[in-house]
Amino acid sequence: MSHHLSFNDLPQGGEKFEPAKGGKLIGALGLVGLLGLAASTFFFLKNTDTFAYSWLFAIFFTFTFCVGGVFWIMLHAASNSSWGVAIRRLWENLANMVVILGLLASPLLIPAVNKHLYEWMNHHRDAAHHAAEHGGSVKEALHHMSHDNPHLHILYSKFGYLNISNHFIPPFSWQTRFVLYFLILGYIARVMRKKSLQQEQDGDIKHTISSRQFSCRWLLFFALTSTFAAVDWLMSLDYSWFSTMWGVYIFAGSAWSSMALTILLVAWLKSLGYLQKVVTEEHYHLMGKLLFAFTVFWAYIAFSQYFLIWYANITEETRFYLTRNTEGWRGVSIFIVVGHFVAPFLALLSQARKKKPYVMVFVCLWVIFMHLVDMYWNVIPERGPSLGIGWWVDGAWIQDVAALLGVFGTMGFLFLRGLSKYSLYPWRDPRLIESVNVVN
Amino acid sequence: MSTTLKRVHGYLAEFDNVQDLYHAAEHVRDAGYNRWDVHSPFPIHGMDKAMGNPRSNLPKLVFCGGITGTTVAFILQTVTQTNFWSSLGLGFLQEIVETYPTVVQAKPTDIWTLPAFFPVMFELTILFSAFTTLFGLLALMGLPRWNHPLFASKRFAKFSDDSFFVCIEARDPKFSQDGTKALLEKIGGKNIELVEDEI
Repeated sequence: MSHHLSFNDLPQGGEKFEPAKGGKLIGALGLVGLLGLAASTFFFLKNTDTFAYSWLFAIFFTFTFCVGGVFWIMLHAASNSSWGVAIRRLWENLANMVVILGLLASPLLIPAVNKHLYEWMNHHRDAAHHAAEHGGSVKEALHHMSHDNPHLHILYSKFGYLNISNHFIPPFSWQTRFVLYFLILGYIARVMRKKSLQQEQDGDIKHTISSRQFSCRWLLFFALTSTFAAVDWLMSLDYSWFSTMWGVYIFAGSAWSSMALTILLVAWLKSLGYLQKVVTEEHYHLMGKLLFAFTVFWAYIAFSQYFLIWYANITEETRFYLTRNTEGWRGVSIFIVVGHFVAPFLALLSQARKKKPYVMVFVCLWVIFMHLVDMYWNVIPERGPSLGIGWWVDGAWIQDVAALLGVFGTMGFLFLRGLSKYSLYPWRDPRLIESVNVVN
Repeated sequence: MSTTLKRVHGYLAEFDNVQDLYHAAEHVRDAGYNRWDVHSPFPIHGMDKAMGNPRSNLPKLVFCGGITGTTVAFILQTVTQTNFWSSLGLGFLQEIVETYPTVVQAKPTDIWTLPAFFPVMFELTILFSAFTTLFGLLALMGLPRWNHPLFASKRFAKFSDDSFFVCIEARDPKFSQDGTKALLEKIGGKNIELVEDEI
């Protein structure tokens, strides 16, 4: 009670981040990103087929953090929370990175790239070719093709959603949706930050209320976006496979890893001397609790998905796990069970550990590493079988590392540089004091 | 003439508001008392700190309860449905299973059928944790006793209405009839009363 801070105890005008202070990390990320992008360009030209998977993996891994950023600001606003006001600006910045990521993701729209990723697109292109020659629609051509190859019948049935030709008719084509996802997330991120920045001018509570209303309305579109992005980009790598839990699974991982990233960012900024009065051990505790919750939630979803498919033993469904539970991927699968759930679960159980920043930094680095393994395990096992090279492509891991460093390094560099644009926390939010003095 | 035996439970002091109670708690804490408590009509944020309460031991109990639940479920299912224990050389545990292995949907009968057991492991973990929480809590509160000795005091009924109390118990090593009363008076306690408990 005696430590209660009031508005005048906090720095007026908020705290501005000076990139020079965090020079080492920012410089390293920039360098790594530049080298990664250079190597990526080389691999794109030389090994387009295997590198397409590397790029998809790196893009999607980075994308999940942006999705998480959007989710946390919206949840925070929609649930009318006040505890996270001190941290909200970090999420706003994280969410806004999605626009730049869209540019980095654009190579996936090029047919020369995505023809290696998505077998179904090749069948659709064949069908389009067929239709042009013999007349009739693409869908009819697919139907016709499925007489010779019964596997294609599933593509005929899924044509309404999974296609590359209905650009302007909902639910649109794969390419149109690709662009839409970035537009929707970018729009949400932009509007939320705009409201937050307007509040910085006048300190009016009405911006808090309008961002709450906005969040409640747009949470639906956010959910649809993150779900169908996961379906379009990852699930359709194998067009015969389907899982209704897929969207939730990817979302759970996104929220989990982006919360870990937020804790790391807060710890990093505090070690540089920022946010000293604004963020307390109570915030670490609160964020740690959410991290813990999503550890369990992810495990619940991941297991439910596995369990139903494993037990029902239906041919189309089991393919996903058959690939990942055999050969070298089996070890990775078991490692994910232990490392993605058991280890963080035990580490985050205790309240005392959640309140210690240096413990949380280790846990969060581990969390992000495990999320990386999870994403790798989701994308890369498709590569060998799809390209007909076997379960593992020798030497391709270098391409994966290059893509990861290129995308994550560049995005990290831009993100940290971008922190200097606005105050590190919304300093005129009427509920900032409530957040600074939060006790839980 | 009453012949009931009575035992001193402790000193009860009344306070007017939260601030007084909070500061009183800080003083009692600093005076080095361990066996004492505060009573208020509603929870007060930060009171744990003002009282200097250590963390409860309940979480440790619950953790053990949860682990027990997981283990029980694991043993229960692996003994009855797999050859796991036989493969460890403990076949006598599961002779029946060796004779009649349960093959469900062509799933293996070795340890790799483990995912099928997760739901029960999960449920029993929760069940045992919940039981440990409830019964551990009751045990830590001293369940065999049916009422709290403080209800012997007439004024104490107001704790659920509009009054705030501090009670320092006689079993505290630092308790003394004069010293404790003097402390309570010094920190602003009103209507100080020696509460006696019927044996």
